[in-house]
Amino acid sequence: MLIETRDLSFTYMPGTPFQVEALQSVNMTVARGEFIGIIGETGSGKSTLVQHFNGLLKPTGGEIRVEGKNIWAGEINLRTLRSRIAMLFQFPEHQLFEETVFNDVSFGPRNLGLSGSELTERVRFGLESMGLDFDTYRDRSPFQLSGGEKRRVAMAGILAMRPQVVVLDEPTAGMDPAGRRQFLEQVKRLHREEGLTVILVTHNMEEIALLAEKLFVFNRGKLVLQGSPAEVFKSAAVIRDTGLEIPALSELLQRLSEQGKKVRTDLFSVEEAAAEILQLVREDRS
Amino acid sequence: MSGMRSITLGHYLPGNSLLHRLDPRAKLVGLLILIAALFLIRTFSGFFYFGLFFLIAFISSRLPWRYFLRGLKPVLYIVIFTLILHFLFTKGGRVFWRFGVLTIEENGVYLGSFMTLRLILLVVTTLLVTLTTSPIAFADGIEFLLRPLRIFRVPGHEIAMMMTIALRFIPTLMEESDKIRKAQMARGADFESGNIFRRARNLVPLLVPLFVSAFRRADDLAVAMESRCYRGGENRTKMRQRQITGLDYLGVFTACGIALAIVLTGV
Repeated sequence: MLIETRDLSFTYMPGTPFQVEALQSVNMTVARGEFIGIIGETGSGKSTLVQHFNGLLKPTGGEIRVEGKNIWAGEINLRTLRSRIAMLFQFPEHQLFEETVFNDVSFGPRNLGLSGSELTERVRFGLESMGLDFDTYRDRSPFQLSGGEKRRVAMAGILAMRPQVVVLDEPTAGMDPAGRRQFLEQVKRLHREEGLTVILVTHNMEEIALLAEKLFVFNRGKLVLQGSPAEVFKSAAVIRDTGLEIPALSELLQRLSEQGKKVRTDLFSVEEAAAEILQLVREDRS
Repeated sequence: MSGMRSITLGHYLPGNSLLHRLDPRAKLVGLLILIAALFLIRTFSGFFYFGLFFLIAFISSRLPWRYFLRGLKPVLYIVIFTLILHFLFTKGGRVFWRFGVLTIEENGVYLGSFMTLRLILLVVTTLLVTLTTSPIAFADGIEFLLRPLRIFRVPGHEIAMMMTIALRFIPTLMEESDKIRKAQMARGADFESGNIFRRARNLVPLLVPLFVSAFRRADDLAVAMESRCYRGGENRTKMRQRQITGLDYLGVFTACGIALAIVLTGV
């Protein structure tokens, strides 16, 4: 197992009247090369959880292990860990600070001690992985880019560290549909071609259903469901209880299946579902 | 730096006690009188009576004492510093202790304890008021107190508004800096090691985004206020008019009574 939590709990501001139990006894595992979706409403503890994966937060209870090593028992260097498990925060364009795109993207690799041609290669890899041309963008100021470009530059800065795992916290929040699709397309390609382990935090069910191999559903700091998207969406009632909705497509297919129709309920793209329903209609006619 | 979240100095705790319900104007006027009274006290027994009064007020406020004490932590160093300075450098009276050129003498001990007590009472009384008054009520109170200064063209409303906005954005900016700090740490930034110059330079990745975001927020806020036709304090009325009640008079009179008693009895 790559990442494993054991009874992980976290409380904000313990011992004050403002204390909040953000996570309660979470047990979960992530394997190498998986595409994981973490879903839950705002305040469900999902962002708090992922900040434990690279040691940005220290659990107030339980433990977190990466490759079998307890990261808070001094068995692992936290800075090395953070270069391997990289993290992109919400609205990552707010973290840009350098004068040029090149300098900003190279911040992570420079902190890893890289320089010279290797550094340039890393920056090129980062930018081009996100579909940004190296020569066009390298000398531009990150503050003069469009919102979507800024976000991709921020992501490039993460990828330039060549991590094994990327944790993305609602990476597409506030993006337009085209930018959203493009961004996720790049992430998917990296997952497929580079074998990148991806942990995506979101509350967009439609989006995650198409991407993730495994879902973890959180509600009020507790892990309430886990499994493949098809398995998870079968528990529509539990999901509704968390304040989320299962994708409309899954609901449609499930209702058809409940009425005794022979349809697959594990389809998440409009094209596949349309074909399935079309076939059903044709069979009914004949 | 995770301690940033736990700053509690002056962090308002909602409640429904007598002190919470007191009008902010009355509370501020009362506080000013009490502070003045504190500086008129000349003997230790005076501090004892004042402390007793504070204790009653504190208990009636129903604030958790642990939380209250935590708010005092930042002041602790100043208190200890004062104490040490007085102990070592105020001379006169019997000599209690000698080490080379350093001596602790009677007057130093007396004055040190006296000043420290005054400082502690000053801080706890003020803290009691800030912990039971919401920032908005507090700014309202300040605006009221500044009103007489209008003849000197002191913009009372604007000062109060700036205070409100500043207070409103402290938690927001703190959260923001926490987030940016983590984002940069995730990119391998190091905020904890190195000498002071190195550390200062390492703060650039934190400070630049923080300033950018503060300016962006200020801009958004200005637009939001202007689109609601905000144009300063002139002829501005309040949605919730604060009413001075008998309770508020009682509070101010109590404070006056304490000050008067101190002056008259000479404690």
